[in-house]
Amino acid sequence: MMRERVTHLGAVAANRIEAVGSMTRFGGLILAAVARPPMRLNSLVREIYDTGVLSLAIILTSGLAVGMVLGLQGYNTLVRFGAESSLGAVVGLTLIRELGPVLTGLLVTGRAGSAATAEIGAMVATEQMDGLRLMSIDPIHFVIMPKAIALMIVMPLLSALFIVLSIAGGYLVGVQLLGLDGGAYLSSLENNVSFADDIVGSLLKSWIFGALVGLIATYRGYMAARNAAGVSRATTSTVVTASVCILLFDYVITALWGV
Amino acid sequence: MTGSVDSSSTTPAAGEASVALNDVCLSFGDRPVLNRVTCSFPTGAVSVLMGGSGTGKSTTLRVIAGLVAPNSGSVRVAGREIVGLREFELATTREQLGMLFQNGALLDSMTVFDNIALPLRERTDYSEEKIRSEVHQRIEAVGLADVDDLLPGELSGGMLKRVALARAIVLDPAILLCDEPFSGLDPPNVLRIEALLVRLSKQLGLTVIITSHHVESSRRMGEHVTLLFPEESLSGTTAELDALGDPRVAEFLGAAPV
Amino acid sequence: MQANSTRDFVVGLFVVTGLAAVSYLSIQVGGLSYTGPGGLVLTGSFDEIGGLSVRAPVTIAGVKVGRVDSIGLDDDLRATVAIDVDAALELPIDTAAGIRTAGLLGDQFIALEPGAEDELLVTGDELEFTESALNLDKLIGAVVHGGIGGD
Repeated sequence: MMRERVTHLGAVAANRIEAVGSMTRFGGLILAAVARPPMRLNSLVREIYDTGVLSLAIILTSGLAVGMVLGLQGYNTLVRFGAESSLGAVVGLTLIRELGPVLTGLLVTGRAGSAATAEIGAMVATEQMDGLRLMSIDPIHFVIMPKAIALMIVMPLLSALFIVLSIAGGYLVGVQLLGLDGGAYLSSLENNVSFADDIVGSLLKSWIFGALVGLIATYRGYMAARNAAGVSRATTSTVVTASVCILLFDYVITALWGV
Repeated sequence: MTGSVDSSSTTPAAGEASVALNDVCLSFGDRPVLNRVTCSFPTGAVSVLMGGSGTGKSTTLRVIAGLVAPNSGSVRVAGREIVGLREFELATTREQLGMLFQNGALLDSMTVFDNIALPLRERTDYSEEKIRSEVHQRIEAVGLADVDDLLPGELSGGMLKRVALARAIVLDPAILLCDEPFSGLDPPNVLRIEALLVRLSKQLGLTVIITSHHVESSRRMGEHVTLLFPEESLSGTTAELDALGDPRVAEFLGAAPV
Repeated sequence: MQANSTRDFVVGLFVVTGLAAVSYLSIQVGGLSYTGPGGLVLTGSFDEIGGLSVRAPVTIAGVKVGRVDSIGLDDDLRATVAIDVDAALELPIDTAAGIRTAGLLGDQFIALEPGAEDELLVTGDELEFTESALNLDKLIGAVVHGGIGGD
């Protein structure tokens, strides 16, 4: 009984490792496709619209909400130490270094990542990918590459918007609601955030998360089983895998970069 | 013929069938699908591939199209052995092929016009005017009109198949593969599509290979019929197959007409 | 894919707004600035640089005029710091450089106090008068053991 469990675990682990290898190779194919003409700008624009513009609603609302909560919680904690004038710095640094890239990554995974997997999976199930191959059109170049690249481009932009909205949310709560001085909030923020140490790391993180979601979402879609259940499984798998990877990579990047 | 490609190297020798499978075996995992299938499809004729569910009819078409590689055996398409070729090496052979997939396999996000124009835009350097004329010519050839701006989701079953057919022939292929072209169609549409396929075959000299369950249309249009059974395959004209007196023939082709 | 001018516009708007957010964070919040011409490179030796790091600001009367280029050890095992400041500045040769802390617990920077001599510093010159960083531990230790007396 125990032996079966261990063997099963081993098989699961081997499966995961194989999936990582397969995904890496897939990533290589996507990069190779970027290097080949034609540019597919129309597709890229369409994908930026689908992944970026259509995610704005959730990103902006969440950003504002998170900023307001941070403002409230931050104030309540800082006021015990008489340090409430540092609220701007606390809200700003928390968002810029961690919450901005990570929450944006998770939200985009849920919205745009799963949509991408579902769309690609549906194309696989209805033989559209085969149709492309028959016409000697590389499905990776035609469908996958624009989606993956769009996610990479869109993530840092959405993250920046999330952070700005959150800072505004913190301002609303701290200044309008709780009576902090607006100037103190902003100058505390500006004096404690450094471009090189904080902003660059934040943008780098969200760019890496974008690449991760782009790779995982398109891979899962492309490899989905050719039926409705398969597409559904693939979509769930994207959300789970991408979310976990974002959180893991967040730790690794933070540890290495010192963000 | 597409203006920018030399296809002389892939024309079959005189008398050689357009498509020939020899001893082809294919298993998905440990499930055998094609078991030593040997058959050929004569050039310029309409061939029907029949067999029970799961005997590998669709898989055979996919093997011919190079979409899936057999575990062993030889597959010659338009005078060229395609087993063992890499994806990009199949491009020249695929220029000779058009495929009508069971559900059309049109790209959902593009209009009918853009779908049919796609092979021209990607594989040729025709001007937009030439593309427009070629596309409209094919739309007319399949008996449709005024469908340019519709999306695939807005098309009825019969219209969908015709649009997919128009796309399949837009590069003037020599071989047309049709996977269950009559599935999901009501009887009048079955007759229309059947007549269309026969007409195109005659007009354009196409080798047409279709998979089908339809007994009547197989008899009507099938100049050459191949029956796939798990252990073997039988090929010939309907008259020849009837003459065999094999009970399995009657299962698929019905009783011989009196 | 057909081109769609409304969609193109919206995407363009999105990208521009996103980049604007990035710029705001980088420049206004993060303090990224187009570093002025610079060009006047000077060095100074310090016994103790504390938490001074490369790219820390160099100020005169509180105004940023340049930044720290590099930090190393010289042969006497003292810290040697190279700074890059605005070449248009006219700094007398007895200008002093001191390591200060921004606020009570903030980052360290170098503050220059211009001297009174007529002769000016040129690139490559060494600053003669340097003031090392205050070491908080030593200061507290001194107070605790009565080293710095008085009230």
